[in-house]
Amino acid sequence: MNNEIFVELKNIRKVFGSVVALDDVNFSVLKGEIHGLLGENGAGKSTLMNILYGLYSPDKGEIYIEGNKVKINSPYDSIKLGIGMVHQVSTLVPQFNAIENIILGTSEDKYRLKIEEEREKIKNISKDLGLEFPLDVKVKDLSAGLKQKIEIVRAIYRGAKLLILDEPTTSLVESEFKDLLRTLRSLVKKGVTIIFITHKMREVLEACDRVTILRRGKVQGTLDKEDMTTDNIVKMMFIEKDIKVTESALPKVELPESKKSPKPILELKDVSVESSERSVGLKNISFELYGGEILGVAAVSGNGEKDLAEIIIYPKNLNRGEIYVDGEKINGLSTLQVFSKGVFYTPEDRIKEGILPDGNLKENILLGHHSEDRFLNNKTFIKWDEVRITTVDIIKKFNVYAPSEEIIIRRLSGGNIQKVIMGRAFVNPIKLLVTHNPTSGLDVSTVEFIFEKLVETRGSGSAVLWIGEDLDELMILSDRIAVLYKGELQGIFNRDEFDKYKIGLLMIGGQR
Amino acid sequence: MLSFINSFISQTITYAVVYTLTSLGIVISGRAGIFNVAAEGIMLASASIGFIVSFLTQNAILGFIAGMIMGGIFGFILAYIHESFKVNQFILGISLVILGTGLSDLMYKLIIGVKLTAPRAPKTPLIKIPFISEIPIIQAFLNQDVIVYFLYFVILFAWWFYYRTKIGLETRAIGENPKAADVVGVNVVKRRYLSTIIGSMLIGISGAYLPIVITGTYMPDISAGRGFMAVGIAIFASWKPQRAILGGFLFAAIEVIAFRLQVISQNIPYQFFLMLPFISVLIIMMIFKKQIEYPASVGKPYSRE
Amino acid sequence: MKDKKILRVILIYFLSILFAFLVISIIVSIFGYNVIKVLKTLLTTSFKTTFGFQETIKKTIPLIFTTYAYTIPFMIKFFNIGGWGQMLFGGTITAVVGLTLPYLGINFPSYIMIPLLIVTGILAGGFFGLIAGFLAAKFDINPIISTIMLNFVAVQFLNFIATNPIYRDPFEGHPITLPLPKSGTLGFIYGVPVSIIFAIISIIFVYVLIKKTKLGYEITAIGHNLDAAQKFGINFQKTILTTFFIAGALAGLGGTFEVINIHKKLIEGFAQTSGAQYGIFGVLTGLIVAGDPVGVPIAAFLMSVLLVGADALQRTMQIPVEMVFLSQALIVLFIVTFRERFLRRT
Repeated sequence: MNNEIFVELKNIRKVFGSVVALDDVNFSVLKGEIHGLLGENGAGKSTLMNILYGLYSPDKGEIYIEGNKVKINSPYDSIKLGIGMVHQVSTLVPQFNAIENIILGTSEDKYRLKIEEEREKIKNISKDLGLEFPLDVKVKDLSAGLKQKIEIVRAIYRGAKLLILDEPTTSLVESEFKDLLRTLRSLVKKGVTIIFITHKMREVLEACDRVTILRRGKVQGTLDKEDMTTDNIVKMMFIEKDIKVTESALPKVELPESKKSPKPILELKDVSVESSERSVGLKNISFELYGGEILGVAAVSGNGEKDLAEIIIYPKNLNRGEIYVDGEKINGLSTLQVFSKGVFYTPEDRIKEGILPDGNLKENILLGHHSEDRFLNNKTFIKWDEVRITTVDIIKKFNVYAPSEEIIIRRLSGGNIQKVIMGRAFVNPIKLLVTHNPTSGLDVSTVEFIFEKLVETRGSGSAVLWIGEDLDELMILSDRIAVLYKGELQGIFNRDEFDKYKIGLLMIGGQR
Repeated sequence: MLSFINSFISQTITYAVVYTLTSLGIVISGRAGIFNVAAEGIMLASASIGFIVSFLTQNAILGFIAGMIMGGIFGFILAYIHESFKVNQFILGISLVILGTGLSDLMYKLIIGVKLTAPRAPKTPLIKIPFISEIPIIQAFLNQDVIVYFLYFVILFAWWFYYRTKIGLETRAIGENPKAADVVGVNVVKRRYLSTIIGSMLIGISGAYLPIVITGTYMPDISAGRGFMAVGIAIFASWKPQRAILGGFLFAAIEVIAFRLQVISQNIPYQFFLMLPFISVLIIMMIFKKQIEYPASVGKPYSRE
Repeated sequence: MKDKKILRVILIYFLSILFAFLVISIIVSIFGYNVIKVLKTLLTTSFKTTFGFQETIKKTIPLIFTTYAYTIPFMIKFFNIGGWGQMLFGGTITAVVGLTLPYLGINFPSYIMIPLLIVTGILAGGFFGLIAGFLAAKFDINPIISTIMLNFVAVQFLNFIATNPIYRDPFEGHPITLPLPKSGTLGFIYGVPVSIIFAIISIIFVYVLIKKTKLGYEITAIGHNLDAAQKFGINFQKTILTTFFIAGALAGLGGTFEVINIHKKLIEGFAQTSGAQYGIFGVLTGLIVAGDPVGVPIAAFLMSVLLVGADALQRTMQIPVEMVFLSQALIVLFIVTFRERFLRRT
């Protein structure tokens, strides 16, 4: 490694709809280094790299390669500039074998398919890098680790001088990670520069020469090898540089004394959910949640936290273990049956999973309550008057800023949509609220309002299971915090043991 | 017996032209991610124009070319409206079926008009290979018209294109995972246009084959659901060219068998034989449910963000 | 904000119709017809004479049923192209029941016979629709394919019944069944089929079903957002089945009325002629209303105006009816394109 800058991104800004994904980001990588790009999910790491690779075009900003300003409109351009990328989700064609995938799209000879001639070339590259994989097996039958090797070889085959790895370890086992490290080292020796995107600190410490930390679309800073300590990294990832900002950005809500119920409202015994392509599943989760208590579940997204929420409201998917609500076993019940036990839910993605975007507020409030006798005549006809009264009531109680209950929900702001979703949970008195990232992307006053509602719920003797990734928020409001990592419970902290550093470390796979 | 087998194979091959070309056409656009459910409409419109041109020029080949061009136009409309306006492919397909249905009879009535005796299409040139065309069984395959030979050519070409060329490989990749093709620098939109137009051209030729060769004259609704059955074949073939070809021959055989049984059988009403091909589509799709794989992107518009 | 959207929708429909008529005008003028006269005939025939209006209503009734057959499954994003077959099957089974009873010597009075035949049509059509629903829910077979295949099955089944010696009228040259017993048929009031009453009942039924019942709510919710609907406890599979049953039942009912009110017997050619017309135009009209059941009666009426106008064009000016079919297909094509262009969500 020398001190020559290989790639430089200047003042990059990217907006998706109304969300600012990247805001004035400056980022540079030196020739021949392994540069870590660290941040929580949604921090903007992948977006930044997709811009460099030409998949997204930035709204503002410039890209320089070896000092020359370049325009990258598509991967076709970036490949020509010597950039290769291994995406988080495999971009191999599952029906093709390794050779076919590697030669796909290379430009020289459009018509002739020279599989046999290329075979040697590919074999040599993979031997050279120590990346061996079967060449003639359909990729869909290969493990994630092998697929990744193919993607790396593909990038090198195309002459990549800069290799971007987007969360390369997501689906790797420990030994595969070690292999990957070795590969990266040998690539560097051959003069390849590497950008390594991750949200796991340990990997940064083991793999990278330097690290840049992104938080909410902004660069928090870049650390050199000698400054790369666990301490510095956790601070940059989880604690804002400017303490004052932290204080004003988070609402002040007091957590008053409350009376815990004598018996648990929610009890999970040894609950397991099989992992799938979409998620890591859950492994032997056991905990108890009492009335009058908020249990925060801290997890970086993709660590089984969604399965945890979903298994409670749809226990039919349970593979092993038992779930009890207020002492009653709910294994095998349907969602509506679970709801009838006094449970309700607010999903993670409020637009995609939470609302009927083209429905009015009444139709949205009714969702999940549509089979309840109080809203039905003869179990068939909906009492829309009753729904209207309830909706108006919720609009008032939850301060939903809406001209009337007839308005199409899509027209409301994110905060007001969340209030409707939250309000829906309180149509009936509830014993347990399962809420997943209820505050993400909302302004401070709405966050404060939702906090108040959660505290109120807790005060009334109900239990709240709050799954979230913002540790600051969880620490303000939770009685206890459970940490979930790779589908396993890492530990539960009582309020007096809350330690941002310790919990943050567990969330990203560190040891206690 | 031999002559029975001979004529059975020969007739099956004639019908296989229709089924195979159409399902191949659907497969070709499907491989690039466009689900062409408009096949029936394309066949009808091409059948009409194909017949009209061949009748007026007294040249069958010109008729097939006209059918092919009509198919290409439909393919372009399908690709253009889908890619530019992101209209749902199924809605678009159904609209085009109705458009083709209306267009076919309209063109015929406006240009040919109502005649007392049905006008006949000119003969399609036959190809006979000396000696080989005399051997029983083989004769059934080779003693055929130029379009059958064209079908053989298309089959070989499709196989060569998809499995022996790089652009074929890339086109297959688009259907499986357009992002995969995009990230390696393939122009997804351009390929989608090309595949849809070429696929629809094949469907157009198959449409023209109906009046020019099979019936010898034009009649309303001449494709009689075969375009939709071809969609079924493409699905059950999981958009694999070789399986679509097999499926095309299979359904041609089913149609011929149903037709022959109709003549022989006295106890079973003929209507049940006419139902047979349609019911077979559903039964085969039920049986092969587990094996059916859609190209992952088929039916969906592609956008990066 | 809402007014703006309505304005835009009106604009889309207006532009689409304008464009389609423009294309048609060009075509007819190329072939030397008087464009003004063509358009006038097309649009005013239904309103100029009592007969024209009666004919329009006569077409509107079955069209309402087949349009519902398309529209209701479309609310959960499924394409039921099978309104045609479901109508034919409903009509055929109605004829079978209506003819078999007297054949067996059972003669019910009309207050039993009529409800019996109506229920028969509902169940037969519903059963036929349910097959497609079942294939979609259990075998993942796209209803576009299954319903079209079933259409052809229904056509052959109708022909089988019409040519069956038990039912066939021996004195007719063409395969036509014996007439239904008088107690099993409906008449006309002022030249309008009595079945209009049932069509109106069906309009009310669908409206109440969609807007006022739990099932209607579940259908709407799935259409708006399948993920959210499932997450909050709506059973998708079950809704597919009920939706297809209802769609088929309504189409089947349409077939019943064609048999007991219009033809009073089963005619072999019905499948291919007016039956096919109602089938195809049900889909077209359904595409125009885009899954909004409230618009169905109006759209079906306007479509019938064009169909009656098309017949008149053929009679008076020798312009093929397909010219109008073409214009309708173009209207739909323009509408679906403009709709996507101007109403796409941000």
